[in-house]
Amino acid sequence: MIAYFVACYPSFEKSLELIKKSIDAGVNICELGFPTQEASGEGIVIKKAHDHCLERSVSLKDTIKLAKAVRDYNKDVGIVLMGYMSNIFRYPIDKFVKDLASVDADGCLVVDAPHELREENQLRNALNKENLSMIKLVAPTTTDERLKKLSSIFSGWVYSLNFSGISGSKSADLEQVKSMIKKIRNYTSLPICSGFGIKTPEDAKKIAQTGCDGVIVGTAIVDFIEKNIDDKNLPEKVGNIIKNFVKHL
Amino acid sequence: MSKEKIKNSLKVGSDKDGYFGEYGGIAAGENLMKNLEELKAAFQDAIKDKKFLDEFAYYCKHWIGRPSPIYFAENLTKKIGGAKIYFKQEHLNHTGSHKPTNTLFQVLLAKRMGKKKIICESGAGQHWSAAAATAAKFSMPIFGVMGDIDVKKVNQNIIKAKHYGGKLKVVPGALREAITFAIKEWSNNPDYYYLIGSTCSSSPFVDIVRYAQSIIGKEMREQFMELEGRLPNEIIGCAGSGSNFTGSMFEFLDEPKIKKVVVEAEETAALTNGTKGIQQGMVTKFLQSDDGSKSLGGSSLGSGIMYYGISPQLAHLNDIGAIEASTASDKELLETYKLVAQNEGIGISFEPAAAITEALKRAKGKPKDYIICVTACGRVEKDLDVIEELIGKDFE
Repeated sequence: MIAYFVACYPSFEKSLELIKKSIDAGVNICELGFPTQEASGEGIVIKKAHDHCLERSVSLKDTIKLAKAVRDYNKDVGIVLMGYMSNIFRYPIDKFVKDLASVDADGCLVVDAPHELREENQLRNALNKENLSMIKLVAPTTTDERLKKLSSIFSGWVYSLNFSGISGSKSADLEQVKSMIKKIRNYTSLPICSGFGIKTPEDAKKIAQTGCDGVIVGTAIVDFIEKNIDDKNLPEKVGNIIKNFVKHL
Repeated sequence: MSKEKIKNSLKVGSDKDGYFGEYGGIAAGENLMKNLEELKAAFQDAIKDKKFLDEFAYYCKHWIGRPSPIYFAENLTKKIGGAKIYFKQEHLNHTGSHKPTNTLFQVLLAKRMGKKKIICESGAGQHWSAAAATAAKFSMPIFGVMGDIDVKKVNQNIIKAKHYGGKLKVVPGALREAITFAIKEWSNNPDYYYLIGSTCSSSPFVDIVRYAQSIIGKEMREQFMELEGRLPNEIIGCAGSGSNFTGSMFEFLDEPKIKKVVVEAEETAALTNGTKGIQQGMVTKFLQSDDGSKSLGGSSLGSGIMYYGISPQLAHLNDIGAIEASTASDKELLETYKLVAQNEGIGISFEPAAAITEALKRAKGKPKDYIICVTACGRVEKDLDVIEELIGKDFE
């Protein structure tokens, strides 16, 4: 199971605590989303969490600090930073990759960086040199021709988007997911993880049966945190939610 | 001057990756890549199709009313004392700005691509009203997005667009937020045609808008040769992200003797004060926080020049010294509006007032045979309420 967290949401300490509980509950890979104002691929729920962090001046640096704290807690869990080119470009790219390597993260996933973007190439080359992964996305609209090109640069695992659209906006169509996983499988032997539209443990169970190697849950977790932001036992409760997801897989 | 003869011509679109020098490109999500690839192929195919171009030319002439005239602003010229000031009167186009040329081109392109529905964003509502009018003319349903800050200011355009049948979604913010929302809607509905209003977006949009709008400069060349027997010394235009300025000066890019000056709102001057970044689908200059997580910049009376980024092509041309950049303040916009209204009997909107402000500064003291052409890209109707409120007394 892969879980997406908005880094430092609602605060650095609480974020770390709830990620720790999630790891204890069975999360295999943590996606740490670094906040940005535009967040062009995010729906209302995740965008709101980004805005919460931006109001508190959370930066990509803080996300890397969080990644280090997560790594200190658990040496095996996968750690992937997820976000947009804007922050990485300004960091800038080479320093970002160095810092990522120094905290022993596994890689990053950049929503608005297709391989046609030169700055993506810079980032990907720098990551490859450090043996880090640039996780690539495949969408239902990705053509076979593009998939073929993408297959030569896939690294770590493949993020298969269950629908075309922004996070949290639609539900996944099982038949479509199945055929997509099958299609991607023709081009890669790496694990394929399926994300978007997985709202409940039952959804996760159904998606897990489509032939993918992992499921990604994002909006559902962030939404729960948002609704229980002042709850003293938030980390435990997030852990319980993750447990429930994992049980269904 | 034929393109073949010029080495390193600047009159070119983006390179194979969609860049202008180090700016431009495609910074979009994977789910939009197919759309952008299709659009690029469709655009390149359409501009080789004589029938398509003839149709565009026909409606430019008969529906928009092109060519827009050039006009010698004789009274202003006398008042300032110096260069001859000309207006390229884009505000006389149907819908009152340079925008319908672009919306016409893209709606025809959308139809040619077999698209059934259109989505667009708008700042000053000039693009929104032009897009809605064009969509009505060609029987395409249209959905637009604008920021609430702008909607409050430019009521006339909103009403017009509603009458043309456009459905508007209002989001908190201004043009930046409208673009982000429109792109998200497009992500959710990749079968829509995304009708961008200016030259700030992923490739190939920058090239498409420039292609449509460069008719402005072509007309200027013919009109100046006819009226003055020569070309202007300077071409000035305002820019939010850059479509009217790009359209005005692109034709003359290989003629370095002709100065090209772009004027941004002082409060949101990305070209003058911005730093390189990657947002809104492209690499360009933005007013942004150091870490790239937030946009910066204040507000301007001119909604259409209130944008925290700039066309990647303009960012490149500015870097290599092919264009110059300047700014105008709100106070200057109001003063220039008043001056133009009282001396020439022309009501311009706040956006071209920025460009005319710069033209007046540059004209002063220049020789009498020096010609400055400034693009008047919008008429005042949308801004009347704000002007009445701020300086209405001045006219009593």
